[in-house]
Amino acid sequence: MNAKIRLAGILILTLLAACSSQPPIPIEDHEVYKRVRDPASEESAGVQVYSLQNPAVKQLTAQAREAELAGDLGQAGTYIERALRIEPRDPQLLQHMAEIKLQERDYQQALNFAVRSYDIGPRVGEICSRNWRTISVAKEYLQDASGARDAEKRAGQCMNTRPKGL
Amino acid sequence: MVGKAKKTRSKKRKPAGRKAPARKKPGLIRRLFRILMLLVGLAIGLSVPWAIWLDIQIRDEFEGRVWDVPSRVYARPLSLYTGKAITKDALLIELDAAGYRKKQTASEPGSYAYSGERFDIHRRGFTFEDGAEKAIRFRLQMRGGVVVALNDMDNSGDPGLVRLDSAEIASIYPLHDEDRTLVALKEVPELLVTGLQAVEDRQFKHHHGIAPRSIARAFLANLKARRAVQGGSTLTQQLVKNYFLSSERTLARKANEAIMAVLLELHYDKAQILEAYINEVFLGQQGKHAIHGFGRASEFYFDRSLQDLEPQQIALLIGMVRGASLYNPRRNPQRALERRNQVLDIFGTTGLMSDAEIKTARERPLGVTEKPRSGSSRYPAFVDFVRRQLRRDYQASDLRSEGLKIFTTLAPFEQEYAQQAVTKGLDDLQSRGLPADLQSALVMSDVASGEVRALVGDRVAGLNHFNRALDARRQIGSVVKPLVYLSALEHVDDYTLITPVKDEPVSLRQPDGSLWSPANYDHKSHGVLPLMDALVQSYNQATVQVGLNVGVASLIRKIKQLGVVAEVPAVPATLLGAVELTPVEVAQIYQSLAAGGYSVPLRSVTAVLTPQGEILGRYPLRLMPLKNRDAVALLNFALTQVVDKGTAKQLHGLLGKNTLIAGKTGTTNERRDSWFVGYTRDRVAVSWVGLDDNRPAGVTGSNAAMRVWAGLFRQLPLEAVDLRMPDGANFVWVNKRERALTDPSCPGAELIPFIEGSEPKASTGCLQKLDDKNRKSLWRKLFERKD
Repeated sequence: MNAKIRLAGILILTLLAACSSQPPIPIEDHEVYKRVRDPASEESAGVQVYSLQNPAVKQLTAQAREAELAGDLGQAGTYIERALRIEPRDPQLLQHMAEIKLQERDYQQALNFAVRSYDIGPRVGEICSRNWRTISVAKEYLQDASGARDAEKRAGQCMNTRPKGL
Repeated sequence: MVGKAKKTRSKKRKPAGRKAPARKKPGLIRRLFRILMLLVGLAIGLSVPWAIWLDIQIRDEFEGRVWDVPSRVYARPLSLYTGKAITKDALLIELDAAGYRKKQTASEPGSYAYSGERFDIHRRGFTFEDGAEKAIRFRLQMRGGVVVALNDMDNSGDPGLVRLDSAEIASIYPLHDEDRTLVALKEVPELLVTGLQAVEDRQFKHHHGIAPRSIARAFLANLKARRAVQGGSTLTQQLVKNYFLSSERTLARKANEAIMAVLLELHYDKAQILEAYINEVFLGQQGKHAIHGFGRASEFYFDRSLQDLEPQQIALLIGMVRGASLYNPRRNPQRALERRNQVLDIFGTTGLMSDAEIKTARERPLGVTEKPRSGSSRYPAFVDFVRRQLRRDYQASDLRSEGLKIFTTLAPFEQEYAQQAVTKGLDDLQSRGLPADLQSALVMSDVASGEVRALVGDRVAGLNHFNRALDARRQIGSVVKPLVYLSALEHVDDYTLITPVKDEPVSLRQPDGSLWSPANYDHKSHGVLPLMDALVQSYNQATVQVGLNVGVASLIRKIKQLGVVAEVPAVPATLLGAVELTPVEVAQIYQSLAAGGYSVPLRSVTAVLTPQGEILGRYPLRLMPLKNRDAVALLNFALTQVVDKGTAKQLHGLLGKNTLIAGKTGTTNERRDSWFVGYTRDRVAVSWVGLDDNRPAGVTGSNAAMRVWAGLFRQLPLEAVDLRMPDGANFVWVNKRERALTDPSCPGAELIPFIEGSEPKASTGCLQKLDDKNRKSLWRKLFERKD
C-alpha cells in the first residue's frame, strides 16, 4: 500500500519537477515517511487495526492523499477536516491530520492531533507506532529532547501487545 | 487644471465679444456691455469649476461605488453519503434553506422531487470553500432516518459523497443599504444586453451620452399619446440618475445629469458603461435594502442566477427598469405581466426573437417566486456571532463592500430545531404558569470541532434586539460545580470519585464582612458521602467544603483555562456559581469537557473567500489539549450519573430515550436563572431561561432550561457519550460506601473510573470471600493434579 503510494508520489513529483525550475525533495526523503510512516509500517508487518471507514471518509482520505502527494498540504488538511466532520473520532483521520501538520511544520498541532489519535485509538499496532513517532518528531522540534526520547520508546512498545482478534 | 480652465475661457470669450456692437448711447451700451461681460465671466468662471466638480463626482461614483458588493454568508454544506443519519424532515428543512424548489421531477438545478423516503435532487453547481463542483443529479434513499443508498442519476453509481450547496443565510450590506450581486458583462445573457438597448436606448452604441433625437422622438410620442410612453434618457443618463437617486425633477438636475453623462462617455467605453448600468440600475426594494442590478434582481425575483433566466423573465426585468415599484411582479402582477408582454413585443419588432418564440414566451406565467429567498433576517443571532468573530480579522468596510463569501458552521436544520425548542418550550412553560415575558438562549456546537451549529438569542425567531446567547451575562449557579470537582480530581492524591466529603452547614465571612451560610436546595445537610454523589445531587454545602479545600483561586484558574475571558470574582460564593457568564461562555467551557479535555475555541466561520473564489482566510481545526485529561474523563463519567440518577434524572423521560448523556442543571438565587448544559458524543448544548430584568422567574434548572434542551435533542440523532478512559485511567469494580475493591457479583458493586494508582487498596469482605474460594479451588486443582 505504502509502496504504491510512494511510487505514485515519486511519479507525480517527477512530473512536477519536469515543469518547475526548483526540484522538490524526493518523497522518500520526507521526514514523515522516513521517521513515521515507513518504520511504523515495517514494524507492524501488516498488523493493522483499522476502524471501518464509511465510503465518504474513504473518498475524502484518498483526495487528501492525492493533494498531499501533489504538495498541497492546505488542501489535504481541508479534506481531512471534512472527513473529521463525518467521523470526528476516527483515529486514522486524526493521525493523518497530525502527519499533515508535521509536514506543514506546525509541530504543536502535529503533537496534539497525534495525542488525540492515541487517546481514542487502539493504542497498539501500526497506528500506535505512528502516533508515538509523530509525537517524538514533534517534541524534538519543540525542543523537548527527553519527551522525544520517551515517545520513541513508547513507539517501540506498540507492537508488544498484539491487538485482540488478530 | 488651471491651463485647461484658461483655454476654455478664451474660447468662450469670442462669441460674447461679438454680441457687443455699439450703435447709440455708447455710454449706456458700454455699461451694459460691461455688465454682460461680467455676467458671462461669472458664468464661465462658475461653470468650469462646476463641470470639473461634476467630473470628479461622476468618476468617483463610477470607479468607487460600482464595486460595493455585500458579503454573502453561507451555512455549512450538508454532506450526504450512505450511512448518514438524517431524518426526512431535517432534509426538507435543509433543502428549503438552500432555496431548493419542490417539482414533479428534479429537472433543473436547485429543484428536487420526493416520494416516500426517496429523494431526487438536482444539486446546483457551487463554489465551496475547497473548490468548485458542477451541478449533479442524484437519487437518495433513506430508511428510518438513515441514508441507505445514493446514486448519481446521470452517471450511474454511488457518488460516495455529495454536498448540497450551502444555504445563503445572510448578507452583510454596505452602509448605504444597497444589495447587489455583481455580474461581468461577459456573463450577461445576450438577450438582456441587446434587449435592454432595444427597449431603453437604441442609439446607445452611437451617442455621446445624450441623444437629442431620442429626446425629440420621445417628446412627440408622449405628446401624441398624451402620457409618458417613452423616455428620452440614454442608458448613460439613466446610470447617472441611478448614482444620485433623487426624486427631484428639476431642470437643473436634468442638466447636471446630461453634463455628467457626456463626461462619463468621455472617460469610459460603452462596455464599461453598460456593465456599470447592469449592476447599478434600481430594480426593487426588500425592507431597507435596495435591489440594484440585474444579477441580484434575478435572484430576488426568480431565485436563479442571471445566466439561467428564460426570455420572458429577462423581458420582465427589462420592463421593470421603467418603474421597479410600479411593475413589481409580486405586488402588481397584472401590470407587470402587461409590461413584460409589451417588452416582448419590442423584442419581436426589433428582431431579437421570432414571432413563434414571442408567442410561447407571452403565454408563460411571470414565474416569480412567492417570497424572495432571504437569510438576512432568518438567523440574526448566529449571523451576529459571525460578524463579531470576523471583526477580529477584517475591516467592517471590507465585509460590507468586497463581496466576500463567508462560509460558516451553521446547520440550518439544527438551528431550526433549536429555535423551535426555545419558542415552543417557553410557550409551554408559560402555559404552566411561568411568566409570559420569560426569555431564553441556546448555543449548540459540535463536540470535537467546536463548530457552532445553532445559536438562539431570543424566544421569537428572527428577532435580535438583544442577543442573549452572546450578551446576557447571568449568574451560572450550579453549572459551575463540575469545575470545582474537576479541580479536586486533578489532585489525584487527595481526591477520587469516591473520596468521602462532608455535606454539613458552613459559615464564611465575605470580603464585605457579611456572613455567608449557603443551604442546600432541600434545606437539609446530608452528612458524609462519596464525592461523586455530592456532584450528582448538586449539594451546595459539600461543594463549598471541597472548593475551599482546593481553593477558590484554583477554580478561577480552571474557568480561565477553559477559555473564559470575563472577570471572575475571587470569593467563596463563586464556588456555587455567583459568577456571571454568557451562554456562549458556558458553552465554551463545556465543549472542552465534552471533548474529553481537547479544548477548541468555538468557531462560527471556517473560511472567507474572495468573490473569485480565492481563499482569503481559513479557520482550521486546532486542538488545545488540557493537561489533566484523565480527571476530565472521571468528571464526564460523574456527569452521566447526574442524568442517570441525579438532578437531571427526568431528562431520559423528556427525551423518550435512554441514551447515555452527560449533563448538569443550574439554578440561581430566588429562581432567577435556569441553566442546563448537556452533551452526547457529538453535540454539546447550553440552554438558559430567565427574565431580562433579572426578576425571580420561578425557574429551576430541571423545570425550564432542561425542557428546552430536551426539546432540541428529541429531534436529533443521539449518540451515547463515549466513556472510554484515556491512557492512565481505568474503570474498576468498587463499593463506593466501603471505599473498597469488590466483585461485580457483590452487593453495592459499581464500575467507577480511577486514575491509575488512586484505586482503593482494600477489598470488601465479599471480594475477600470470593478470593479465598478461588484460591482454595485453585489449590484444590493443583493438589488434585499432583495427586
